[in-house]
Amino acid sequence: MVSSFNAVLRKDLLLEVRGGQSTVALGTLSLLVLVVLVFAFNPGGGEQGAGAAAGALWVALVFSGMLGATRAVSAESENGCIRALLMSPLDRAALYAAKLAAAFIFMAVAEAASIILMVLFFNLEFDVRVARLVPAVLLGALGFAALATLLAGISSRLRGGDLVLPLLAVPMFVPALIAGVKASAAALGGASLGEFAVWLKVLVAFDVMFVAAGYLLFEYVAGEE
Amino acid sequence: MTAALIEARALAKSFGPTPILRDVNLSVEAGRGAAVIGANGAGKSTLIRLLAGLSAPSRGAAMLFGDQARSLKPALRRRVGLLSHQSFLYPNLTARENLEFYATLYGVDNARAAALQWLERVALGAAANARVRGFSRGMEQRLALARAMLARPDVLMLDEPFAALDTDGAALAAALVREALSRGCAVLASAHSANALEELGFAVLTLSRGRLVRAEILNQRPGAARPLARQVS
Repeated sequence: MVSSFNAVLRKDLLLEVRGGQSTVALGTLSLLVLVVLVFAFNPGGGEQGAGAAAGALWVALVFSGMLGATRAVSAESENGCIRALLMSPLDRAALYAAKLAAAFIFMAVAEAASIILMVLFFNLEFDVRVARLVPAVLLGALGFAALATLLAGISSRLRGGDLVLPLLAVPMFVPALIAGVKASAAALGGASLGEFAVWLKVLVAFDVMFVAAGYLLFEYVAGEE
Repeated sequence: MTAALIEARALAKSFGPTPILRDVNLSVEAGRGAAVIGANGAGKSTLIRLLAGLSAPSRGAAMLFGDQARSLKPALRRRVGLLSHQSFLYPNLTARENLEFYATLYGVDNARAAALQWLERVALGAAANARVRGFSRGMEQRLALARAMLARPDVLMLDEPFAALDTDGAALAAALVREALSRGCAVLASAHSANALEELGFAVLTLSRGRLVRAEILNQRPGAARPLARQVS
């Protein structure tokens, strides 16, 4: 199972390096979102600025997450490759894990760029507060990648699936989105570790739930025809 | 009588109200080949898709190795090879990378060496490091054939194996199929014309209005262009 997981993940990353479409699109989208929101909110410093920056970062995460998960799943749509994967001895759970890992990596790269742009556009400093932001963003990226990969498996077979994915994913992600924004605002605003940790626990619970759900359900989602 | 490796039992498939296959029964044992021929839209590809487990039948059963094709365990899926209308190849990977990827999934020892060997066997050795996106249709078909066979499957399903192949390519494909049969593989193939498959000793069945009938060769009159055939159920 490990070698199959590695093979699928390596293949997806290789395709992305060769194509480069997802990473460029995700980075561009993140930049656009941040630029629009910084001019829309025109934030000052302090808590208000931290809240605005956190909100902008998570908007960028959600948009880039949908694009990243869709790309990870749709990479199999050319030439019917998903059918070949389903016919192979590849464990369905390993396929889900590899697609999740690919979507997570795409999102993590985009979010790294987003954090840098956020610090620059919102006049923040690269200090311990930004460092505390990282676990919240990574947990959020993992949770969204897990959710969106599972839903992308469903929506890829539907007419108008590109519209269905955000309609399904965004409402289901709201609890993690709220927790992520609160955790990020707490981190950037210099709040206590306790207040920050409360919201991290919500993100961890969300991640555990949707990674497990995807692991168990993906074979039924991907196998139907 | 040896057990059938490929079996359809009263297999039927409808898309909405339209029946495509009706009450199809066939079995293919190890080392035997069966060719399903028929007009465009007769349901040949649908039959192969059902037997490959890629689609659920409306009624009846599609069996491989005595198990339901839709729920084969990984150990049995490893023993099935499929050549489909779709090539199952990644356009932005090279020929070698495509074969190496599938060889890894199928647990083939030394995946890289196996990929290079098979590229030589299908006369694509010179194009090993070329991306599939730039391949001609015939090159893609050769590579797809190599992909279907590289794990030395015990069951092989070939949807129009000679499509887009030139004379050399067709001869190469026939040689590979002959070799598979000789090592005990059960082969089910679909085609518009049975000529090449008859030469390989395949039993020929015609799909007509969703039903499978057998075509027997009765006799051949001297000078006749084709042998006479009578279709029987």
